Amino acid sequence: MVLDPQLVWNGLVVGSIISVSALGLTLIFGILNFINIAYGDYMAAGAYVAWAVNAQAGLPIGVAIVAGILVMSVGSVVLDKLVFQHFRTRSPITLLIVSIGVAFFIRNLLRAIWGPSGHFYDLPMEASPSFAGVRFSVEQVAIIVVSLLLLLGVYVMLRRTRIGIAMRAASDDRMLSRIRGVDTEKLVLYVWLIGGAIAGLSGIMLGLDAQIRPNMGFTALIAIFAAVILGGIGDPKGAVAGGYFIGVAQEVSVAVIPSEYKFGVGLVALIIGLLTRPDGLFGEATR
Amino acid sequence: MALVDLLLVVGIIAGVYSLLAIGMNMHWGDTGLLNFAHAGFFAVGAYTSAILTTPPATGSLATRVVGFDLPIVVGLLAGTVLAGLVGVLIALPSVRLEGDYLAIVTLSAAELIRLLIHNEAWLTTGAQTLKNIPRPLDATIPFSYDLFYFVLVWALVGVCYLLFERLSSSPFGRVLHAIRENDDVPLALGKNTYVFKLKSFGIGAAIAGLAGGLWAHYVYAISSIMFLPSITFLIWAAVIIGGAGSYTGAILGASVIVFLRQITRFIPGDVPFGDQLSYIRLMVVGVVLILVLYYRPQGLLGDAERLQAGTSE
Repeated sequence: MVLDPQLVWNGLVVGSIISVSALGLTLIFGILNFINIAYGDYMAAGAYVAWAVNAQAGLPIGVAIVAGILVMSVGSVVLDKLVFQHFRTRSPITLLIVSIGVAFFIRNLLRAIWGPSGHFYDLPMEASPSFAGVRFSVEQVAIIVVSLLLLLGVYVMLRRTRIGIAMRAASDDRMLSRIRGVDTEKLVLYVWLIGGAIAGLSGIMLGLDAQIRPNMGFTALIAIFAAVILGGIGDPKGAVAGGYFIGVAQEVSVAVIPSEYKFGVGLVALIIGLLTRPDGLFGEATR
Repeated sequence: MALVDLLLVVGIIAGVYSLLAIGMNMHWGDTGLLNFAHAGFFAVGAYTSAILTTPPATGSLATRVVGFDLPIVVGLLAGTVLAGLVGVLIALPSVRLEGDYLAIVTLSAAELIRLLIHNEAWLTTGAQTLKNIPRPLDATIPFSYDLFYFVLVWALVGVCYLLFERLSSSPFGRVLHAIRENDDVPLALGKNTYVFKLKSFGIGAAIAGLAGGLWAHYVYAISSIMFLPSITFLIWAAVIIGGAGSYTGAILGASVIVFLRQITRFIPGDVPFGDQLSYIRLMVVGVVLILVLYYRPQGLLGDAERLQAGTSE
């Protein structure tokens, strides 16, 4: 079987979005040690804020993207101070259930403000060029380029900056890093700032590629979880690899199985991954 | 509609949700398993019973070729059993997983079930609604049908409540509690904890299937968008608010959640924010869930000792 380049291209676009969102989720997990069910709704909120700035206030898409990222970055910290901070000493499972409450709140707040129907960004109309038989849109190229830049940026941050190295240390062993003088509460602040910004950005990318809906993030969450777990929970490198793998596998599978079932590919990958490599692709899961 | 009629409708929904919460309480309250597939079991029960009790669709636009036109009792029983089997099937590869991994796998599995229902039109009418599901004894009830169904649903809630309370305090239930607290201990005592977890998962899923059947036969028509994961999350909220580990709490929690969701039916439509009310009440559910976890982590009727579950690792 020859791989259809168009399907591979689509897979790379979807994979970029999954990778970026999985990276944000796994970073938050590494420091806070719980699965944040509300993460998909953070993404949707970012997409909506950008939509309001772009389509309702009539500002250019670039301004809207920055606004969406900033609001979610600060918003995540505010939500932490309001809610999650008070549960810091509780079990990860309590925090998971708390995040269900947060998810309910955010998703229905979006519906109450902007209504339940779908929206699109107000973008300049451009013809879709094609290259070597692959049809692509300007937004898709932007999604791929921006995600690569972001992934590179986060990689450099985790490897080269003091805060990034402290993050990796705390993610590996929280107690030990505290003994060695890492201020973990300050790390929590940074990880929400960064994780929230990534959530906002990936939500906007999802909205650019498809439609902006209140449940868009939640629907995407299963593929994102699959990427996080496949890569080894808490391992940023693994989450990115898992994201691209699932994105491409999901789109390429259309050649073999009915396209309605492509979302099942992530689930199957997840179950096989958990049964065969419970510590992730690189065996570096932090738990 | 008169107030009594409204209360009956809300009461029927509360009864169905109570059955779902009873099943969830067996998983989380008794065994400490994070089941996020409840909406899937609910759907299996509803669709099984609906397909078994309706004839195949006819006409040129009909997509569904399967239908059996069997008695409703057969449909309800089959829905219960099949949901239980699906529960065991999902649990087989996943129930050994640690807490939150299990949550993700079961959540995904429930979505896969919904995907199947949505796409296999020959069996389920796919994206369209499956209509004309018969109501039990529809023609023979001389008084208000809602009153009859209310009594039927709550009688079943009562039976299940007694059954599960008994099960929870039986030797079987005590092993489940031991698994919840620390599953190495029952293992060391020679109990096959894997099999016990499978049984717990199957039994809880079966009750969710029964709830699905009762729901389908009440509402006439079902479609795949009725079985979104938000049902699962609402049931979680019910069990946590009511108090994990307590079956009385599960029923109370489910009733509180249904009341919060349906309360706007009792308010005239011309109040400010009338359009947004349905969303605002779900925001309230979220806030109540967080407040209960903060101020009363054991829930309204839960046992404070139960809080130790899942914290031993």
